[in-house]
Amino acid sequence: MNAAPASDGLTDGVLLDEVRAAVASVADPEYPGVSIVDLGLVESVDVIDGAAIVGLIPTFSGCPALDMIAADVRTAVGALSNASACDVHWLPGPVWSAERITANGRNILANDYTVVLRRKDGGLQCPVCGSHGVTRQSLAGPTRCREIAWCSACRNPIEVMR
Amino acid sequence: MQTLATSPGRGRTWSDLDDFQTFIDDGGMVEPGDDMPDEYRQEVFRFIEFHANSELMGGLTERDWIPHAPGLRLKQIFLAKTQDEIGHAHLLYMVGADMGVKTRTAMLEDLFAGRSRFHNVFHYQAVTWADQIAIAYLVDAAAFASQRAVFAECTYGPYKRVLKRIVAEEGFHMRHGEEMLLRLATGTDIQRSMFQEALGRWWWPAVQLFGPDSDPNDPLLAWKIKSQPNEALRDAYVQKYVPLLQGYGFRIPDDALHQNLDGQWQTRPIDWAPLKATMRNGGPDSRRRIETARRNWSDTAWVRDALDQSTERAGE
Repeated sequence: MNAAPASDGLTDGVLLDEVRAAVASVADPEYPGVSIVDLGLVESVDVIDGAAIVGLIPTFSGCPALDMIAADVRTAVGALSNASACDVHWLPGPVWSAERITANGRNILANDYTVVLRRKDGGLQCPVCGSHGVTRQSLAGPTRCREIAWCSACRNPIEVMR
Repeated sequence: MQTLATSPGRGRTWSDLDDFQTFIDDGGMVEPGDDMPDEYRQEVFRFIEFHANSELMGGLTERDWIPHAPGLRLKQIFLAKTQDEIGHAHLLYMVGADMGVKTRTAMLEDLFAGRSRFHNVFHYQAVTWADQIAIAYLVDAAAFASQRAVFAECTYGPYKRVLKRIVAEEGFHMRHGEEMLLRLATGTDIQRSMFQEALGRWWWPAVQLFGPDSDPNDPLLAWKIKSQPNEALRDAYVQKYVPLLQGYGFRIPDDALHQNLDGQWQTRPIDWAPLKATMRNGGPDSRRRIETARRNWSDTAWVRDALDQSTERAGE
């Protein structure tokens, strides 16, 4: 085995910032342009003795993108010259919910994908026209994390993260 | 970048088709509340109906292969793809029905009666598991390229918004296709020859998915629903996939295939007559596929009845 990079608290701290940035550069395979950090999939990022350890949580168990996301994280972190290794783990908890999506993530989903989140009171606002005349059409959308709704004001089908 | 979340149409009207064309040429986006020319409404509706039908037929086909997929992970991928396609069909039928040309039920009845059309690739039989890999690798990539080219301009707002999500998901399917192909390509001799045989069945349907050369006067080009003529998309596909498949050591089923002096791949001339017959639901597997879809629809009638009743009750 090659000599590990000199590692002390200070260099691990610098590396940690680089690893965090690398992880944040990974986009969800089903939402190009939306970082997995903004989607709330990243639970923990640690660096121990020059090795990165990334803990992820899935939106839904059985999501078909898990292997691809983990591979993309390994590729992004592996490209850092200082990281000696990268372990990616899918954690059994906490359970993902749409509240984990950041404000930035919500903006991109609404503006680019016309996908919205339910408000705390359960209400929905159309990302296209701002109307509240949005009704659910189907509990299941194209993916397990989205349902289909219809805005009767601007007459667009929209999708809701659930 | 222009955001897709723009305000809806405000009942805009145009004095004639030339006036409408100027609006399109200036980068205008048509919304459901606009008084669009009937020619545009009919043509865009037909295009969306065709796309919706194709998603539904594709999803039902992939569903049939879930039990045959070797291993839990591949079953998971096929389950997710099936859900994607059916979800896409649902969104597209909503957009289509809203255009007021046909109801969703009428579109489905026409599909099951063989009166409407869907992509050529769903008219042929998939023989082995390797056919599914060929479809995932070749056909999904062709569908992705064709949908991406529609998304690139697409002047009908609700269709463009739905396409944004569809194209993102089809890109995800393509990555699965590449991964599955890589497994077979680096597998045993039997696996490689299975794929070579499947390639013989699926290369031409995939290339023909883009359709015959576009009529230069195709209104869908003028109205910027299509951003490129069919032949440009078909040629770009051939230039990309010939070297990729040859790089994996597979043989393209085309004895006349060669590179011209500019290094561009030239296929043999395509006889479009069989495709035209196929598209009129006269392909080798058309009848069985349509019957499967119709049976699926009638077998699930009780679910729709139950949902309708619970909706009515909620409205009381």
